Amino acid sequence: MPERFWRTPLDIEKVSRPKAEIHILKDQCKGCGFCIQYCPKKVLEESDEINARGVHPPRVVDEKNCILCSFCTAICPDFAIFVKEKQCKDGC
Amino acid sequence: MSTAKTVTYKEILAEYPDAEKLKFCFECGICTASCPMAELLKGEYNPRSILEKIFLRSEDAMASDELWLCAWCYRCYRHCPQALKPPEIFLQVRKFAVKCGYGRAFENAIRKIVKVSPLPLVTILACFHPERAGLNLNEVINETEKLKKEFLNEKKKEIQAESSKRKVAVIGSGPAGLTVAHELAFKNYKVTVFEALSEPGGMLRRCLPAYRLPREFLDRDIEVLKDIGVKIETGVAVGKDFDFSSLQKQGYDAIFIGVGAHKGQELRVEGVDLNGVVHALDFLWMVNSGKVPDVKGKHVVVIGGGNVAVDSARTALQCGAEEATIFYRRSVEEMPANPWEVKEAQNEGVKIEFLVSPKKFLGDNGKVSAVEFVRMRLGELDETGRRRPLPIEGSEFVKEADMVILAIGEVPDLSFLPKDVELNEDGTIWVNPLTMETTLKGVFAGGDAVTGPASIIEAICAGKIAAASIDCYLKSLDLR
Amino acid sequence: MSKEEIRIGVYVCHCGLNIAGSVDCKEVAEFAATLPHVVLARDYRYTCSDQGQALIKNDIREYRLNRVVVASCSPRLHEPTFRKVCEEAGLNKYLFEMANIREQCSWVHLYDREAATEKAKDLVKMAVAKAALLKPASEIEVPIIRKALIIGGGVAGIQAALDLADTGYKVYLVEREPSIGGMMARIDKTFPTMDCSICILAPKMSDVGHHPNIELLTNSEVVDVKGYIGNFRVKVLKKPRYVKEDCSACGECSKVCPMTAPNEFDAGLALRHAIYTPFAQAVPSTYIIDMNLCLNKDGVIVCDKCVKACERQAIDFTMKPETVELEVGTIIVATGADVFDPSALPQYGYSKYLNVITSLEFERLINAGGPSGGRLIRPSDMKVPKRVAFIQCVGSRSNKTGRTYCSNVCCMNTIKDSLLIKEHWPETEIYVFYVDIRAYGKGFEDLYKRAKKEGVIFIRGLPAEIIEDKRTRNLWLIGENTLLKEPYKMNFDMVILSVGLEPRKDSEVIQRLLTLSRTQDGFFMEAHPKLRPVDAATGGIFFAGCAEAPKDIKDSVTQASAAAARAGILMAKGKVTVEAITPILDVEKCKACGLCTKVCPYNAITLNKELKRIEIVEAACGGCGTCAAECPSDALTQNHFTDEQIIAQIDAVTEHDADKKIVAFCCNWCAYAGADFAGVSRMQYPPNVRIIRTMCSGRVAPKFVERAFARGAAAVLVAGCHPGDCHYINANYHTQRRVERLWKKMEQNGLNKERLQLLWVSAAEGERFASKIYEMQKIVENITPKEIELAKKVFQKSGGA
Repeated sequence: MPERFWRTPLDIEKVSRPKAEIHILKDQCKGCGFCIQYCPKKVLEESDEINARGVHPPRVVDEKNCILCSFCTAICPDFAIFVKEKQCKDGC
Repeated sequence: MSTAKTVTYKEILAEYPDAEKLKFCFECGICTASCPMAELLKGEYNPRSILEKIFLRSEDAMASDELWLCAWCYRCYRHCPQALKPPEIFLQVRKFAVKCGYGRAFENAIRKIVKVSPLPLVTILACFHPERAGLNLNEVINETEKLKKEFLNEKKKEIQAESSKRKVAVIGSGPAGLTVAHELAFKNYKVTVFEALSEPGGMLRRCLPAYRLPREFLDRDIEVLKDIGVKIETGVAVGKDFDFSSLQKQGYDAIFIGVGAHKGQELRVEGVDLNGVVHALDFLWMVNSGKVPDVKGKHVVVIGGGNVAVDSARTALQCGAEEATIFYRRSVEEMPANPWEVKEAQNEGVKIEFLVSPKKFLGDNGKVSAVEFVRMRLGELDETGRRRPLPIEGSEFVKEADMVILAIGEVPDLSFLPKDVELNEDGTIWVNPLTMETTLKGVFAGGDAVTGPASIIEAICAGKIAAASIDCYLKSLDLR
Repeated sequence: MSKEEIRIGVYVCHCGLNIAGSVDCKEVAEFAATLPHVVLARDYRYTCSDQGQALIKNDIREYRLNRVVVASCSPRLHEPTFRKVCEEAGLNKYLFEMANIREQCSWVHLYDREAATEKAKDLVKMAVAKAALLKPASEIEVPIIRKALIIGGGVAGIQAALDLADTGYKVYLVEREPSIGGMMARIDKTFPTMDCSICILAPKMSDVGHHPNIELLTNSEVVDVKGYIGNFRVKVLKKPRYVKEDCSACGECSKVCPMTAPNEFDAGLALRHAIYTPFAQAVPSTYIIDMNLCLNKDGVIVCDKCVKACERQAIDFTMKPETVELEVGTIIVATGADVFDPSALPQYGYSKYLNVITSLEFERLINAGGPSGGRLIRPSDMKVPKRVAFIQCVGSRSNKTGRTYCSNVCCMNTIKDSLLIKEHWPETEIYVFYVDIRAYGKGFEDLYKRAKKEGVIFIRGLPAEIIEDKRTRNLWLIGENTLLKEPYKMNFDMVILSVGLEPRKDSEVIQRLLTLSRTQDGFFMEAHPKLRPVDAATGGIFFAGCAEAPKDIKDSVTQASAAAARAGILMAKGKVTVEAITPILDVEKCKACGLCTKVCPYNAITLNKELKRIEIVEAACGGCGTCAAECPSDALTQNHFTDEQIIAQIDAVTEHDADKKIVAFCCNWCAYAGADFAGVSRMQYPPNVRIIRTMCSGRVAPKFVERAFARGAAAVLVAGCHPGDCHYINANYHTQRRVERLWKKMEQNGLNKERLQLLWVSAAEGERFASKIYEMQKIVENITPKEIELAKKVFQKSGGA
């Protein structure tokens, strides 16, 4: 049933996307990689730096793509990552 | 000239196999809109009304000279919503016309052809094919030469004594470039044609097999250009021997790009760099420049389905090959080659296999010995509107081959162009269809470089439009 | 076995000049009088007329006729008429037989009077031979369930549902999408009155939602259908919405859902979320979650934003698909049509050039509830265009796309669209490029004139190609103005392709489930194009709307009411009689081998091992006769198509000049209908074929073919429905098997197996039938007397004679 739509929808700008703030507690991360794997918009990737635990924590590729689904928040076993909605103050 | 009885269209089309399909024609005008001859002969040639006349007044259709003006480019067939083939319908009517004694109508047609085509002999031989309907080719050629001389004498009287100061550069001496040169020279501009090969003609010289266009006729037509003052510089390739930007510095006020599509598409398959695997354009140039490759008694495999593939196969057979087989990855309906020529090729002994694609080339001591093919099936539509071929697992088979000719499509080599000249997605130059001007002011383009591989008559038509545009453009410069 | 004398009356109809024009009816009647058991033979001008019928009734009484043969048109047309005549005169209706000397004789041999007359005589001889062996029969009555199933919830389905429900019957309305409404819900205004489409549809949709007699099953599909007229058992798969009916459609869940995707309802022009309602006026208004898009997969719930936002706590991720079984008496198919995808025409640049849109996308743009709020804007820069072009006949009337029919609605749709544009933006220049403007209905011509008055310019000549200007994204159309005989190269801001309608891509599924036939265009085939336009050939099934052919809203609604009325007739009667063509068992001969039980498509025969015989459930029998053909002990035969009757027909044909004749067995539903269609279309073919009608090609037992050859027939043709399209589900597979065995036997005995031909032909393929006869004629002409004799010997040995 799903048809292949080739057009970019006309209201793609209008559909309000909440702006996200991704907070990563680098030193709490144990490098399991679940957040990177399960992010539906592929916003995270493994960074090159090494944290206090000796592993590579994730880093944000493009914060604009984050849809605030909070999968990463839910799946991290160490509570090392969470997202917050950016409050619209100065005409964002 | 009247015959004893009135001929009906049923008799005329009795032996035409697709006559049943004609009932679907609903006079939409798409054939006339896509016809380059209708564009060139503005108002004097209308394929749609000839088609209608065949049904309503068959005698008038047969007696008309318009019947002989189809140049076999098959553009109408590709656009027709009913998939009709006007060139073949006209051929059937022509054959009947010759039988009923209306063969002389072709003389009027030649008059019109000579009027619009700057390469009359080339087009008569390679585009109009009067011999297919049973006319005598030598007579036709003599008649054409006669009318050509008459026409040129008339036209030369129009050339004024004082020529314009404007200079025009034409890159590429194919049919498009030569047409632009011809037209502008008669309008008193100074035209210089730059040609990369050692002799002018473009595809006409390089790839058209000699049996389709004997080179002496091409030379005769090009002589005319030299006569009226066009300078043709051979052996100079833009981008290598001189820079595109240098043309403006040299004082050329307008530039026409007619470089054609001479770069064969690459086939990314294992073994493609084995000895004996050649690009079709290289193969044809070898034959046409006299260096006939050794194919006697060999098995030749041609990969591709366009006109170049068919020409390569026929040439290979003519050079003495034991067997020449074309392998095309889609079916006969999607084959881009001229359907009539495909039939002629098959009559000459060329074999064609459909729905096959090469997987790898197998070699022996660095020389190709066989090709592994996989059978294909047609899936969903892709971007070109044709069904995408998908491989059928486990259907591989091997065919022995002494030479493999790759003819999977040609693209223009436009590496020399500045970024201001925008290209289409498929790598051809984008032009305004009304003026043939590119996105860079004063630079025009036409022919295969714009449309991708197409026919001679389309290139001539594009050249005419471009020449008229260039004339307008140069006049507008004078007014400033 | 009554010792009653057989008294046959033969009527040879002139049918005006339809038959008399190519057949000498008097001669045929005179010939008929010489046949055994015939006591009366007449020729008459219009036998089916009142006077003709009165004549037959009178003759039955006066001459004590106990069998009647009418040689006229096809039994598919008038057998019911004449059977009624016999009944009214006191004669059992199964003692009547027809010879088809019109569709299968006079109309296909228009120019060979002598041969046509000879053939007519043969056909009458065959009918008389069978009539002599006919026995009276009584039909069993089956009760009809007074419930209806409607497949498809577009305007046609909705109208049919309301009509049936208002009459008092229970209706199940099954719709594949989450909401009813179909295509009509997406359109902005309707022609010719320019009514707002959803405004006139929404009240009807609401009525359907509230009607006590209508059970609405949305987001559901029919997956299995078993049974027969009046007694269908249908399995419907209800796909889960994941939202309970407590949903108040407040929309808070959609606001917080993070996932978005192009909305199918808006033709991909706008976005929707994973939890959504297709459009504002959806019925039922309950929201639905698209699990392909939702982040929660395989039962793992991580994102619960919608659950938190829902005040009614209506979201339930544990919902599962449910299969329900419904018992209904009638089915109405209102599945609608798809829209042609112009990506198949690369010269128009759809899906490459942003400003080339289809008429459906136009409807959504100009609809006030659509993605642009009713502003017609160019997708490339969101500006209102100043010059617009409509291109007609995109995908329709074209041999190249394979859709050669006219889609009816596109011309009027374009005219309506152009008036809508002029209403809002009067300065916009509008050009319509057409080949023919079809404004055939009521008020249509007026709308066309109005459009011309408003300044819409109509140019006759379709563009050959569309070229885009890279900088402005404008489009050049290059074509020929055929009326002025001038080429045109025009520039436009936006181009709208007036696409046609095509059959649903998955109409094959419904076709298989309900054993329906399709015409060459791919739409469903009605029983008779003029006299039974909403009935399917299968009893108890009716059509409404675009499923049967492209049509506008008025015609869809009209047809829906007609289908509801037809279904109502059946259900009002409360019972339906089953035709008495069920099997007859000779218990003595039955050896309980069970072969017949394996071939019955309806599982109507069971093997009783204790009693060492088979048992037949007559109500479930479809009447194909495959069991009778399969029985190796001659214990089974089919009522009204008994072995003796068929053999009598074969013998009648092969009595004279058998070596020049083709004996053809044609199935009633496809092959015979196809031969009729060839006749209706006046396709001519050689006159030496003699057709014997059976209900199904599965009835043709090998012994019939052997008998024909043993009697010296030149060739035999066995014709049936295409595999998969068999009216009796799969009985024709057995035909294939039997013919292959016969071919092997012929080869083994040195016979030319080309003399036996197998043809699959549909009711719409008259041409195929005619060309097959031409092909076989060549075979007949080349047969030597030696071959005829050899075949006679081979098959006489095997007991054929």
